Amino acid sequence: MYRRVSIRMRKHFVSVLVLCVGMIASFSVRAADPSKGKALFQSNCASCHNVQKKLTGPALAGVEGRWSDKKLLHQWIHNSAAVLATGDQYANALYNEYKISMPPFPSLSDADVDDILAYIAQQEAQGGGDKGKDNSNPNPTQNPEEGSANNSLLFGIITLILAVVALILLQINSNLNKLAADKEGVAVPEPVPFYKNKAYIALVILVMFMVGGYFTINGAIGLGRQKDYMPEQPIFFSHKVHPGMNQINCLYCHAGAEKSKHAMIPSENICMNCHKVISEYSGGDLFNAEGKKINGTAEIAKLYEYVGWDANAKAYTKPGKPIPWTKIHNLPDHVYFNHSQHVVAGKQQCQTCHGPITEEDEVHQFADLSMGWCINCHRTTKVQFADNKYYSIFEKFHQDVKDGKIDSVTVEMVGGTECQKCHY
Amino acid sequence: MKRTSNILIAAALVSGALVSVSCNRGENNRKPGRIYMPDMYESRAYEFYNEKVSSMKPVDGTVKRGELLPYHLKAEDTALANGVKNPLILAKADLEEGKRLFNIYCGICHGTKLDGNGPLYKDGTGPYVAAPANLASGAKASYTEGRLFHVMTYGYNVMGSYASQLDRTQRWKIAAYIRSVQNGGANPPTLVDGDTKPAAAPAPAEAATAAAPTSDSTAHK
Repeated sequence: MYRRVSIRMRKHFVSVLVLCVGMIASFSVRAADPSKGKALFQSNCASCHNVQKKLTGPALAGVEGRWSDKKLLHQWIHNSAAVLATGDQYANALYNEYKISMPPFPSLSDADVDDILAYIAQQEAQGGGDKGKDNSNPNPTQNPEEGSANNSLLFGIITLILAVVALILLQINSNLNKLAADKEGVAVPEPVPFYKNKAYIALVILVMFMVGGYFTINGAIGLGRQKDYMPEQPIFFSHKVHPGMNQINCLYCHAGAEKSKHAMIPSENICMNCHKVISEYSGGDLFNAEGKKINGTAEIAKLYEYVGWDANAKAYTKPGKPIPWTKIHNLPDHVYFNHSQHVVAGKQQCQTCHGPITEEDEVHQFADLSMGWCINCHRTTKVQFADNKYYSIFEKFHQDVKDGKIDSVTVEMVGGTECQKCHY
Repeated sequence: MKRTSNILIAAALVSGALVSVSCNRGENNRKPGRIYMPDMYESRAYEFYNEKVSSMKPVDGTVKRGELLPYHLKAEDTALANGVKNPLILAKADLEEGKRLFNIYCGICHGTKLDGNGPLYKDGTGPYVAAPANLASGAKASYTEGRLFHVMTYGYNVMGSYASQLDRTQRWKIAAYIRSVQNGGANPPTLVDGDTKPAAAPAPAEAATAAAPTSDSTAHK
């Protein structure tokens, strides 16, 4: 027993010794540690610098090569104003280009700076390739409506066959009748061909009238309704990417939904809040409804073209022009609709009317926006009555709810189906 | 004669139905479909989103009803902004509203914990390549409400202005909320009881206004 333990101890002792020697060696020479540098970079530098991209300050790839002296670079990081004061040419050129002085970082030791530089060199070697290369979305197009189309075709064929069979049987029946009559010697008038038979013609006209009337009325009701309308927009803006994958709140862009009648198509400065920095698309593959692959980075470039932003110079170089978005949800003038009323007082989610918007690359009109659709919802939706100042004037209903006479109040009960609420 | 008229009626109905149904939307519903009385749909009264009217600013010098009076400091007046006081008298509900607004408009980058690590940055793995500022502690945690309001109004470095999304009242509420949770809640705000929120009558930063001459271009900030 003792022997076995001692052998094991000896084995461990050797490995521990090797480890110790290794650690001592690493401390004495102290190679710069990029993983430590990463943490330091992110907490101190990343607000203004990126390795590959120009932000508030220059891109840091190749920074060591750009400075004549490594000591000067260290000095610059510790106190940039002091280096500027010495009149160093490169430092002053930098200041003139970015017009902003870098804050001093006296707390970073020389070793810290070396760690950061090692991290930058490591990132530079990877070429920023850890992001944007994993484009793995194998499902470009789907066709969910194929099943129902097949079924209706099948029913149509069966109906047609049955009709033909019925016609043949009728014909056979009349022929047999005629034969029987001939045999008995009864004189029968020559049969009228079916296309001259008044009963047939009347039947066909009736059927055509009903079918035609059905489609005509449906078509007429559908005039001016745009359910499923999905226009091609000037920029392929994907709601699946923005509020979906990146969890941006709807109200971030459509800030008007809480304050006004209109939810607001966001102005371009709101796009540029993020896209000043995000100039490349690095998510999964994007496809439009036709199955064409969309280049996200090129779509961001279209935005830059509209707003007149130069991504290299990081500045607005041209006057911007509005993006001609196509309006999808369009209510006629004789209907009043107010977003803030539904979102703030009614506490409705955007998805109630706009559907699963965070899963759509291209937005389509989810609801048919017909009057029947509005009224149905107003009849069935319960008003969030409790703790809602907007409805405090309905004292009778509050009392009834308290007394247990009614368990809830629908929109209809507070006047939600009165004509003048929406048409005036 | 009668029969022909019947047939004509039926044919007209069928063809009408075919016209209105068949060529309505186009492939992938790219077209809006047919409308009658197009002046109701494409109205002259308010045709938004065309090149003439969309993305327009309000008329210079106008103030929205119920809105605080304009903020007159310019983007570079950061030193003056430090001294601007919050013109709102805040109740607890206003801080909660500030929190809600912060989580919608600011949290996406600065994080709902204010630690500068929102879903767009995610420790550098998100699409936003610049690290958002840590508002909970560190250098930014010493910013006054006035300075925070100033940054929201004009933006700072790569951050843009939020004046078009948040009105002045909302920005002040957010500033008060940020201030109330910074440094682990070391600067509790003075709150009034009740849920009313009377805005102080004098315009914000009147002292500062005197120092910085007003300009029309900043009237809507």
